[in-house]
Amino acid sequence: MAHVNAKPLGGKILTPSVILMLFVAGAGIYFLFVRYIYGIGAVSNLSNYMPWGIWKVINVIVGAALVCGGYACAFTVYLFNQGHYHRYVRPALLISLLGYSFAGFSLFYDVGRYWGLFNFLIPKYWQGNSVLFEVGLCVMTYIGVLSLEIAPAIIEKFSHVEGRLRVVLDKLYAFLDRFLFLIISLGILLPTMHQSGLGGLAVVMGQKISPLWQSPLISLHHLISCMAMGYGCVIVTEMLVSHDYKETQHMEILSQLAKVMFMIMFVFLVLRMSEVLRSGAMALAFKGNLDSISFWTEMLLMVGGLWCVRNDQVRMKPNNIFLGSCLIMAAGSLYRLNVYIIGFHPVPGVTYFPSVPELSISLGMVCLQLIFFIMIIKTFPIIAKERR
Amino acid sequence: MKTTNRRQFFKRMALAGVGVMAAPLLSAKSAVAMKLRPRHDEDVGMLYDATKCIGCRSCEVACKKANGMPFEYDPQGIWDAPIDLSDKTLTIVKLYTGDQEQSFIKRQCMHCVDPACVSGCPTSALIKQDNGVVTWNIDACVGCRYCQMGCPFNIPKYEFDAQYGRIRKCEMCANNGLLDKGQTACSNACPTGAIAFGIQQDLIKTAKSRIRKNPGTYFQDKIYGELDSGGTGVLYMAGVPFDKLGLPDLPEYSSARISEGIQHTIYQNMVAPIVIYIGLAIAAFRNIRKSHKKTEE
Repeated sequence: MAHVNAKPLGGKILTPSVILMLFVAGAGIYFLFVRYIYGIGAVSNLSNYMPWGIWKVINVIVGAALVCGGYACAFTVYLFNQGHYHRYVRPALLISLLGYSFAGFSLFYDVGRYWGLFNFLIPKYWQGNSVLFEVGLCVMTYIGVLSLEIAPAIIEKFSHVEGRLRVVLDKLYAFLDRFLFLIISLGILLPTMHQSGLGGLAVVMGQKISPLWQSPLISLHHLISCMAMGYGCVIVTEMLVSHDYKETQHMEILSQLAKVMFMIMFVFLVLRMSEVLRSGAMALAFKGNLDSISFWTEMLLMVGGLWCVRNDQVRMKPNNIFLGSCLIMAAGSLYRLNVYIIGFHPVPGVTYFPSVPELSISLGMVCLQLIFFIMIIKTFPIIAKERR
Repeated sequence: MKTTNRRQFFKRMALAGVGVMAAPLLSAKSAVAMKLRPRHDEDVGMLYDATKCIGCRSCEVACKKANGMPFEYDPQGIWDAPIDLSDKTLTIVKLYTGDQEQSFIKRQCMHCVDPACVSGCPTSALIKQDNGVVTWNIDACVGCRYCQMGCPFNIPKYEFDAQYGRIRKCEMCANNGLLDKGQTACSNACPTGAIAFGIQQDLIKTAKSRIRKNPGTYFQDKIYGELDSGGTGVLYMAGVPFDKLGLPDLPEYSSARISEGIQHTIYQNMVAPIVIYIGLAIAAFRNIRKSHKKTEE
């Protein structure tokens, strides 16, 4: 991990955009107080027919998939030994750590009896049949693993420290470096388990989910799409935080990542379409209702994203791979939204649209996450800089 | 040199992809083959015969009283007038009126033989007891509402208006002590015998003999819940189609069987995750050592 020359970006933290995001986050936090005092019903449009809203679906399920960069990177760099992607590892891990931590935090306002979340750790309450139990336990462990993976960056920050603390930090650094392979492989195994589990959650909902999305292979669909989204996340992050992509040699590396993303998303598209055709749900896509519109939007985003990164030539243009990654991430997000909200029909005629306070809590938490990200990359050595 | 590396990379990627794809395909197959949960001899349940129900709603009143549930007033604030099951109403009698036909229907928890809510509950708050009753444990519950998402009948209700909401559902009077005496509040209150309480196997026999004695009375001569969704502890007979009464058309297995089938195939004794972990660790170890060597050179 130490082979990448990463440096803090430095600069002012309270830029106008950060201040704007602070206001959005502030509104979200205000409504969080309301939620904690008066209950979930006071701020949300959730009902007994639509008990899962955007907090769980966007902030947890979509959120965890969007920040799969750490997973995709660990996969590429350590499993397939593609060392030249090393520079993307740290930013991706940081995004994953923040994303998963916020997903975990979101549960604390989404669930009604939040202290009960600690029951996940008490053996007498364990429930091995439950997909949600597996996902919960996996995510908790993964947050720990991600913290260990990112720890060297924090230690490097304190390289000027002298005395006894130095010895301890050096020992810790050496320890992490030595057992990195054990941590990294957990960092590959756990996301594989819980990302497929996040799709597996839908299986028990059976007929309540439209056949356009429900399938015994739904775990696999979630797993494969999250990998593509992870690569998209790495590309978008890299292009937003660093201008190195303007050099051809970096663009080549990025376009390779885009190629992997293309291939995975293509597999996903084939799998999804074949499953819809196999199950005979295709007729539902031509009903002209919200389900079919959403289905085709999802397909359009996916095909559009794939088109942007279709061959080596177009992949060398920064605009193309940026747009392609964004579209693929949007397609994967809409897919998850379709499974759990738009395609979820407990009884005919039930609809759900989030309330304003509900939306501002969701949005506020996303802004808070971005603020943390900006603060950290400006003060800790996360982003690789190559200046010649 | 570089191109061969890249080619290898994609080759390995494709191989891994095939492996990942094959695993759930196998598991979906074994999920279907997995045996259904049986109805046990000691399971207690109820039989509701819509053709005998007069819609007096005595059961509703008795249920509210036995469980200490609050009222849901009509706009004038005089009557307890719930319009559906809710966190304040654990059982309800509704009226369906069609062109030629009409029928009452009493709704409540079905106490499924293979409940999706119990299968989904991450902290064992919902438990299927030895007597077949599905109960809820306040200390274990997280309030995640996955039971609501899973239940094919949309039965569990959450108190959205409360600061710390609870999941409310019929517990067949196991929660108020009546069940220990071999009774339930609603069946006790029923003046026409439309609700019968007893051992599930006996109730099915009773239902079958009623169908035999009254040909043409019951819709398709069917007992709803005998097999539907893997069987339910509360069984229904009616003169009109069940889907008109809000009882959905469900396959003869519970979605919990598919879910658990996939889950148990992948995580059987944690063998697969452990083997994969060891494989990953070895691969990562070798790759890290390789890259260390490269930098030393």
